[in-house]
Amino acid sequence: MKKESANIFTLEIVKDSLLAIGDEMFQTLARTSMSPIIYEVLDYASGVMDKNGNLLTQGNGVAGFIGMLSHMVAYTIEKFPGKDDLKPGDVIIINNPYVGGGSHLSDVGLVMPIFYEGELIAFSANKAHWTEVGGKDPGSFSNDATEVYQEGLQFPCVKLFDQGRINEPLLEMIKANVRMPDLSIGDLWAQIAALRTGNKRINELCEKYSKSVLLQSMERLLDQGEILAREEMKKLPKGTFTAMDYIDDDGFGNGPFKVQVKITITDEKFICDFRGSHPQVPGPINCSYSALVTAVRVVFLSITNAGDVVNDGIFRPLEVIAEKGSVLSAERPAPTSIYWESDGFGGDLVWKALAPHISERLGAGHFLSVCSVTLSGINPETKEPFLIVEPSVGGWGAADEQDGARGQFCIGDGETYNVPVEVAETRYGVMVEEYALCNNGAGAGKYIGGSGVVRSYRALSNNQQVSVTFGRNKFLPWGINGGKDGSPNEFFVKKADGATEGPFSIYARYPLNAGDVVQLVTGTGGGYGDPLERDIQQIQADVKNGYISLKDAKEIYGVELDADDFSVRDVTPERGA
Amino acid sequence: MRIATDIGGTFTDLVSISDEGNIITGKAHTTAPNYEKGVLDVIQQSGLGPETIDTFIHGSTVVINALTERSGAKTGLITTKGFRDVLEIARGNRPDLFNLRYKKPTPFVDRYLRQEVQERLNFKGEVITPLDKDAIRQIAAYFKKEKVEAVAIAYLYSYINPEHEVETKKMIKELLPDVAVTASHEVTKEWREYERTNTAVLNAYVKPTASTYLTKLKSDLHHINLNGYKYVMQSNGGTTTFPHAEETPINVVESGPVAGVYGAAVLGELIGEKNIIAFDIGGTTAKCSLIDNGEMKVDTNYFIEKDDKHAGYPIKVPVVDIIEIGNGGGSIAWIDKAGSLKVGPKSAGSSPGPVAYGKGGEQPTTTDANLLTGRLSLSNFDSNVEMDTVKQAIQEKVANTFEMTADEAALGIIRIANSNMLQALKMISVRKGYDPRDFTLIAYGGGGALHAPALAKELGIGKVIIPNASAVFSAWGMLMTDLRHDYIQTFINEMGQIDPNTIDRKWDKLEASATEQFAEEGITEEHVLFSKFVDMRYKGQEHTVKVPYPDGTWNDTTKQQLARAFHELHEKKYTYKLENTEMEFVNLHLTALGTIEKPKVNKFTVDEAFAKNEIKEKRQVLYEEIGWTEVNVYHRGKLPTGYTLNGPAIVEEPTSSTILYPDQQLQVDDYGNLIIRIKEAEA
Repeated sequence: MKKESANIFTLEIVKDSLLAIGDEMFQTLARTSMSPIIYEVLDYASGVMDKNGNLLTQGNGVAGFIGMLSHMVAYTIEKFPGKDDLKPGDVIIINNPYVGGGSHLSDVGLVMPIFYEGELIAFSANKAHWTEVGGKDPGSFSNDATEVYQEGLQFPCVKLFDQGRINEPLLEMIKANVRMPDLSIGDLWAQIAALRTGNKRINELCEKYSKSVLLQSMERLLDQGEILAREEMKKLPKGTFTAMDYIDDDGFGNGPFKVQVKITITDEKFICDFRGSHPQVPGPINCSYSALVTAVRVVFLSITNAGDVVNDGIFRPLEVIAEKGSVLSAERPAPTSIYWESDGFGGDLVWKALAPHISERLGAGHFLSVCSVTLSGINPETKEPFLIVEPSVGGWGAADEQDGARGQFCIGDGETYNVPVEVAETRYGVMVEEYALCNNGAGAGKYIGGSGVVRSYRALSNNQQVSVTFGRNKFLPWGINGGKDGSPNEFFVKKADGATEGPFSIYARYPLNAGDVVQLVTGTGGGYGDPLERDIQQIQADVKNGYISLKDAKEIYGVELDADDFSVRDVTPERGA
Repeated sequence: MRIATDIGGTFTDLVSISDEGNIITGKAHTTAPNYEKGVLDVIQQSGLGPETIDTFIHGSTVVINALTERSGAKTGLITTKGFRDVLEIARGNRPDLFNLRYKKPTPFVDRYLRQEVQERLNFKGEVITPLDKDAIRQIAAYFKKEKVEAVAIAYLYSYINPEHEVETKKMIKELLPDVAVTASHEVTKEWREYERTNTAVLNAYVKPTASTYLTKLKSDLHHINLNGYKYVMQSNGGTTTFPHAEETPINVVESGPVAGVYGAAVLGELIGEKNIIAFDIGGTTAKCSLIDNGEMKVDTNYFIEKDDKHAGYPIKVPVVDIIEIGNGGGSIAWIDKAGSLKVGPKSAGSSPGPVAYGKGGEQPTTTDANLLTGRLSLSNFDSNVEMDTVKQAIQEKVANTFEMTADEAALGIIRIANSNMLQALKMISVRKGYDPRDFTLIAYGGGGALHAPALAKELGIGKVIIPNASAVFSAWGMLMTDLRHDYIQTFINEMGQIDPNTIDRKWDKLEASATEQFAEEGITEEHVLFSKFVDMRYKGQEHTVKVPYPDGTWNDTTKQQLARAFHELHEKKYTYKLENTEMEFVNLHLTALGTIEKPKVNKFTVDEAFAKNEIKEKRQVLYEEIGWTEVNVYHRGKLPTGYTLNGPAIVEEPTSSTILYPDQQLQVDDYGNLIIRIKEAEA
């Protein structure tokens, strides 16, 4: 059954079907992948673009991919501009960090043009973190790479499939250059399965409702996205807003690096200008322009509360400016392995500039860093090598009428799960000494910053190595409206002989022997408002719960409590009656 | 005689089968918070003599209500030293990716009531640090001072070796005799400390509430002289005794919806259908579940308060896998900021309810759209609302925006509602590797019959069944249950390295626990049926597949059979298999049924003489494809067995109505079910 004149509800149903296709493609990838980083950490994204590369729908497991798919497709169109350059059955592979939606080499993108009756009507695309793309270190991303050539295989936007026929030599090259070819090739096929699902479902929609109805629905989807964003734009404060901050260092002791933003909000535009930020640096914390756009988009979506509908219509008012060759828009051959340590700052600067003005959507700063930990060694039980690669939870900032979240993954993550203690100890040669909130009194305020956590691993065999990448160590999660700053991300090593070393923040391959404990401490988020205005009953509850100490209650919050029953003994003059 | 009573949000239902095999039903209002009153009301209303009732099966919302309303007990938690914050850190995930003010689920136990004890096992269950009993005494004193009403105990690795939890529970019970105590290994023996701790906490939290309720109900039933066997419906699709339900009430969290799915499986067995999609549309939500070859999917991946924006709270007890979406008869039609028509998830509920109820509802709902399009009739409602009022609501709230008539808008509401439900049905079928064309749709609840024929057409399903007791279908399902207990034990082992003695002993132990539990419940060994499953995975992976475990002791054939079944099931679920990769056991899962004699359902015959005037009226009905069409409206109660009619048509009953499309044929089967065949099932 085909109808040419599209009923408005038919358009809605097709639109909903498009969103469901995005969702199905996303799940297909998780379902068919063989790598924990994909099906457990959901470190990938997939989506459908229109024939001009506009994002129609995107499935996300983490927030940090939201600017990349459409850039990838746009670059594909740029590279294959001729009418016959792209054909049904083609699949393009790309992971170049500096163009086309690049982040770091580990994130490998695939793009498939979708044809109906010989006409290009859409693209399906995805990008997934491969466990291995070769390079100098196992797992490929490295916190002491100095140029991109150390970070793995590069795919410069080339055809992996030509009219449905796979490029065998390319496949051979991949197998020969990565450490775990089964996983990488397995993920490649999972990505292809997801692309094909998208292709099939889009074609089914054309069959059922006609091509013209589908195209109208796509247009409607984008237009509605723009309407939503513009409606929300009306509510935003207008003018110019600025923020600056410093990235601690690049892992080689260079730094700090100044980064800054100037935001201009008009009725029509939302412009984030990062010019004046530090040039790209020797260590691998540089981020690409796409990564920067992604980080800004996350905050933009949060401000416009448009999280339900994520497409390029929403982003039409948004403009991101950065100088080429800056740490926030790096160029070849700058290393980008741990790019999230700088792109996170891009989003955080926008957040920081606007938080005082949009308190209903934005609170104080959070621990920001992915806080990644890579621990390897030999499992003493099985005598087999093990490898832990995990991000860490930390403290989020307080907001108006809301204390900060305690122990939650950072903004760039999302539907990310910590590894249970019982799973970690069963699989790896470690023992977890504690996994607890770190209530250190930082982030004081009328609403308090959320606590970070302490997670301690005791090595159970000799010759283990831990690589830690904790940013936001010197420049702290910021408080607002009188709220205090949070605390640093840092780690210590407690040697079996009783000595303690640290604190450290970024460290490559720290050696551990049996009995040594690496104690990972993530930061507390910033506070919101004057601590002297915090509700007294709430302070009593906080002290009873151990979130605030008796000492801090008196010295910072101005309330002296009884040590046994937490009744109010006295209120300091600063707090007043 | 055996009866089932099911407490729902609005009504308390009763179903029984008389000695002649006829179905008896009853409906009374639910009487929150004194739910037991509604139960007595519905028994009285049914006219059944309480003394003739030898088996009483009960489903209620008491546990889920205590959780969602946060009306449970003041609960304390005891954990291994260093891990009391696990309950609060949870898994750290933030499903609402673009919300920078996301709120994590608040733990059910405040931090000051989460206490730590020096003790530690390693991952093999060996004691590394002995239990500090003095600390437990101090904690008990502290809990007493804080007037704690329930205590949960959750130590690391108690799923392998529960001795420290057992000892702690014993001490707490002695020290605090009036407090309800739950040790985590009693409710789940699976690994992952956050999930197990939370499950223990929620069980402790609802235990006093459940106990009070069941005690009161038991005494009230005794008072009216109902002294037969009493069972409670659980979320795993089977029942348990009152004492067991009082001990682990968390097992009954989802009893009502599960009973409906079970009912669909039993009905399928009765009429020879093995592949079924059970589909229930109520006032607020639609629920669906897939039954594959007669088997319900039971797993421990249940959450409360979880959706795509909220992490929710995990409950690791066996629950039938059901997908629920916010789309029911009362779902409100509204226009979003971008100008799109949406239906649900907000519902007008039962009060004020849809405009058609005449109780002050002003927001148009799916029910109102069904009324305006002639699919329901005003006589379905116990109200004096005029059709014009309904029409006006739809015109003003929806149609005006799109510059169209109220009729067109009403059809739009139905189409959007169907589109939402279609996605849910695809989620349990196509997305899980099942072809819906291999399934029969059994639709029940007030709205099931209204929407199922259209949805079946979309999915290419060839057959839809509207059961005889569709209005009280959950209670009907309960009536047909056996006692059931699931024993799940984490057992991480590579398949190639499993020691035959160890595995056989593990199963023996699980079977012995089941036999013992059934003995306590008065079920003798010859009535106990076991099925074994293993949650398996490829080594190095996380996700598991539930594989049936062959009978008999462990040998090479066992291994081969398991391997073959696992590869096949893995491929079905995940699209690939890795035949050269080592396989691993994660959990052993023993399902134990205590079979009890069930009522015989008679074939149902309507006297031909009674079946006069089966056509109630002719009515104009608005269809998607053919527009307004005059159709026959049939009186369901007057359709004789074997009666066949062709669409377009409506078959009406007091609380619902079945809408037949032009290419559909309906026949009344021997049990009074309506069997709809869809001729031109689309590919």
